[in-house]
Amino acid sequence: MTPAISVAGLTRRYRDQCALDDITLDIASESITGLLGRNGAGKTTLMRIISGQEFPSAGRVSVLGSSPVKDDELLHRMVFIREDQRYPNYGAPGFKVSSALRTASWFYPNWDAGLADSLLADFGLPPSKVITKLSRGMRSALGIVIGLAARAEVTMFDEPYAGLDPVARKMFYDRLLADFAEHPRTVLLSTHMIDEAAGLLERVVVLDRGKVVLNAATDEVRGSATSVSGAATAVAEFAAGRTVWDSRRVGSQESAVVAGPLEDIDRARARTLRLHLESLTLQEIVVHAAGHVEAGGPSGTAGPAEAVGPAEAAGPTAPAPERTSA
Amino acid sequence: MNNWIKVARFHLADRISYTVLPWGVLGFDFLIWLLLAAAAGGGRSVQIPSGAILAIYVFFAIAGALSIFRSLPFAFALGIGRRSYYAGTTLLAIGLAAVYGLALSMLAVIERVSGGWGAGLHFFRVAYILAGPWYLDWLTSFVVLSLMFFYGMWFGLVYRRWNVLGLIAFVAGQILVLVIGAAIAGSDQAWPSIGRFFTTIGAAGLTGLLAVLAVLLLTGGYATMRRVTV
Repeated sequence: MTPAISVAGLTRRYRDQCALDDITLDIASESITGLLGRNGAGKTTLMRIISGQEFPSAGRVSVLGSSPVKDDELLHRMVFIREDQRYPNYGAPGFKVSSALRTASWFYPNWDAGLADSLLADFGLPPSKVITKLSRGMRSALGIVIGLAARAEVTMFDEPYAGLDPVARKMFYDRLLADFAEHPRTVLLSTHMIDEAAGLLERVVVLDRGKVVLNAATDEVRGSATSVSGAATAVAEFAAGRTVWDSRRVGSQESAVVAGPLEDIDRARARTLRLHLESLTLQEIVVHAAGHVEAGGPSGTAGPAEAVGPAEAAGPTAPAPERTSA
Repeated sequence: MNNWIKVARFHLADRISYTVLPWGVLGFDFLIWLLLAAAAGGGRSVQIPSGAILAIYVFFAIAGALSIFRSLPFAFALGIGRRSYYAGTTLLAIGLAAVYGLALSMLAVIERVSGGWGAGLHFFRVAYILAGPWYLDWLTSFVVLSLMFFYGMWFGLVYRRWNVLGLIAFVAGQILVLVIGAAIAGSDQAWPSIGRFFTTIGAAGLTGLLAVLAVLLLTGGYATMRRVTV
């Protein structure tokens, strides 16, 4: 399938920093992709460039086969709600929730007013309320309503649920999945609530300091690392020949994170060695990938770079630098 | 074109700013001058020129700046492109200028017929520039209102793109152009001939020149629009 979003060699430099550093990435159409990474990793900049709000310093961006900064018609097939999304702000009568929805409905041919109304009800968002008077969470909810009801071919949310309570967040996941099932589209979602959103994401792309450090199917990532703990000697024996991302030793006990999927035979071996195995959650893996392992230096960048390209084809990924080899 | 109209409608969601406020301010302005005129002349041969109609033109410049400043981020979220947004906002400016210009010229006719509202007041009539037949007044008002809106839009865009520093550079650049122009005119002792030139071309000629200036401002604004980010 041709990718809905395709960027190549994308770089965005600001005066004192490089927000995006030579990014090459394809996002498949009709998929939900999570864009993950720490604050300042470049997630918002990437989405702004994809949506034509910002210009790249170098590189190529193509969305649905066209250029977002040249093609105004293309933009009508996209919606991008930012975390800090600003709405028109003026005095009486004020720009209301209903004004925002009405405006959005003019620009999206597939706008679903019924969906918007039911989402409003679900989130308890009063249509007659002036947007600037909404709480943080309610403003986020409005962004979600617009983003979903627009039914745009490319739908992008940047940290869409700042200030939303867990119930409302769950509602967002459920409604997004339900609507996606009926009307598949390309969804790109940046979030810090990784484990919460994990069930939603088919793929994850992790950015760190402007580079893609992981780009893989969520299922592949999920089984790709295991925490092994027990007696230090046993852990060392088990980890021999494997890539170890991180290890901590307290007295004679050691806990290590071992990369790569485990086979049944490995599990049996762990049992005999009296080791405790625990699969890392998506969030923990992303934390490793996104530079939590602060090894830095030349070896610190070698690992991630490897993981980018082949990750799509190959199974296990090695997102983090090799820190300790047993 | 369709999207341009939608963008204009999007702006008009702020009905108060674009309709009630300009006429409210102008109406209040007018009432004060009418009272002053009535107190001064009582409708006899006195002529009271006010020039206070300038308020609505200044208002248009502010409206132009706000049209960019307040609404652009949400428009971009909704996939409205730079070109559509600029064209739609221009359409709004031209539409408002046409309607309001006509209203101003009609009010000038009423002012003339009623002997300055029975008080010798020249509020909607301004010597030289807005003193012709109604259709010329209309054209002049239309051009100047549009020009002011475009000028304001450009300010809003420069601020969005380059922030306060950009704004300072923008204003400084304009002052520089004016100062250089004035210096050249002064050194050539050209002021009297410039005065003669404006007397000769009259309101119609001046309107034409202002229309050219309006187009220049619109073009400059568009060049900035193409680089604007949110």
